[in-house]
Amino acid sequence: MLLLGYAIAVVAATSVHNPWWLAAGLLLVAALAGRQVPTIGWRALRAVLFFSLVISIGYAAGALFGQAVSLDYLILVNIRVYLLIFLTFTLAAKIDILRALSFSRNLTYLVTLVLSQIIPFRRLFEDLRLAAESRRLRRLRLRERYLQSAAAAVHLFDRAEHDAREIALAMRSRGFFQPDAPDNAPGD
Amino acid sequence: MHIPDGFLSPQTYLPAYALAVGGWVYAARELRRRVDETLLPRLAVLTALAFVLMTVMLPLPGGTSVHASGIGILAVVFGPWLTFAVVSLVLLLQALVLGAGGVTVLPVNALAMGLGGSVAACLGYRLLAPRWERAGLFAAGWLAAVVPAALVAVVLGLQPVIAHTSDGQPLFFPFGLSVTLPAVLIPHAILGLGEGLLTVLVVSFLRRR
Repeated sequence: MLLLGYAIAVVAATSVHNPWWLAAGLLLVAALAGRQVPTIGWRALRAVLFFSLVISIGYAAGALFGQAVSLDYLILVNIRVYLLIFLTFTLAAKIDILRALSFSRNLTYLVTLVLSQIIPFRRLFEDLRLAAESRRLRRLRLRERYLQSAAAAVHLFDRAEHDAREIALAMRSRGFFQPDAPDNAPGD
Repeated sequence: MHIPDGFLSPQTYLPAYALAVGGWVYAARELRRRVDETLLPRLAVLTALAFVLMTVMLPLPGGTSVHASGIGILAVVFGPWLTFAVVSLVLLLQALVLGAGGVTVLPVNALAMGLGGSVAACLGYRLLAPRWERAGLFAAGWLAAVVPAALVAVVLGLQPVIAHTSDGQPLFFPFGLSVTLPAVLIPHAILGLGEGLLTVLVVSFLRRR
């Protein structure tokens, strides 16, 4: 229900072109966010700020070249962009993504695996970066930096292949791939 | 290169969703047909890897850097449909977790980066690699950066024509093709050189073992 409401709200936010209605929608979503308003509001602002500023400044700069620039447009588009991101973050805070995907066992497992793998990969990448940083005595040349990036990427690919094999074996040993396993069976 | 939420009209993203859903269904069938029981973990780990690869900084002359997309590498190593599935999942997670991209722009970003970029990369590679392997890899990386940029620039540049008020004011993205094409394409044509070089190095390293 929440996902359906979100989909309707998203389409409505892009179909309504009155800034007052969009502002009212923003207040409504803020009310839904409850105590998390400051956190979600700040996260949403950080996510949209750069792109919105670039577009808004670029658009406003058109006035310098004699083009017709509308303040209404700037208000409309910025409220809409902020509303959409605020809405998405509010939804993400309210729902458990994995429960929302529980209609498909494969999709649930896929997203669980992805989320569980991102953190180790990030950590590994950061380790590689710090290791390279700590071992260099001078600023690297462009060619050396490319070789270093490529070596890191190859190591990450190796690790990905290894992890995929390990996970496949672990899933097989738990009977995940048995053909008679029901699609909505809970994981172990 | 992602388009953020709120800059595409429903007249653009709703048909794009129809197209993308068709692509996702085809990709799922294609993957199920091609791959054995390791599909799920392989897809998951590759998605996580692509998520992290997109944070790999690509060095530029002068000491600056931008992030790589890894689409050329994924396309050459795993083919366009696996790449499309992986990039789509990465974009969905980035939208939900980081607020990068978004739900309304997901189909356009996925079709441009995941499908357009990977198909162009594979075509460029297959065309050149039989005679010049390294040139093929370089073309794959370059095309994987430039083709999605061109597609995104066209979709964005058409917004003022697709959705505007009766007096001509844009309702979504404000700039036309004359602005978006050079603004998006020129930097990506240059950044694509770095992506091409990285593709040559990574795929060559991977094949050497």
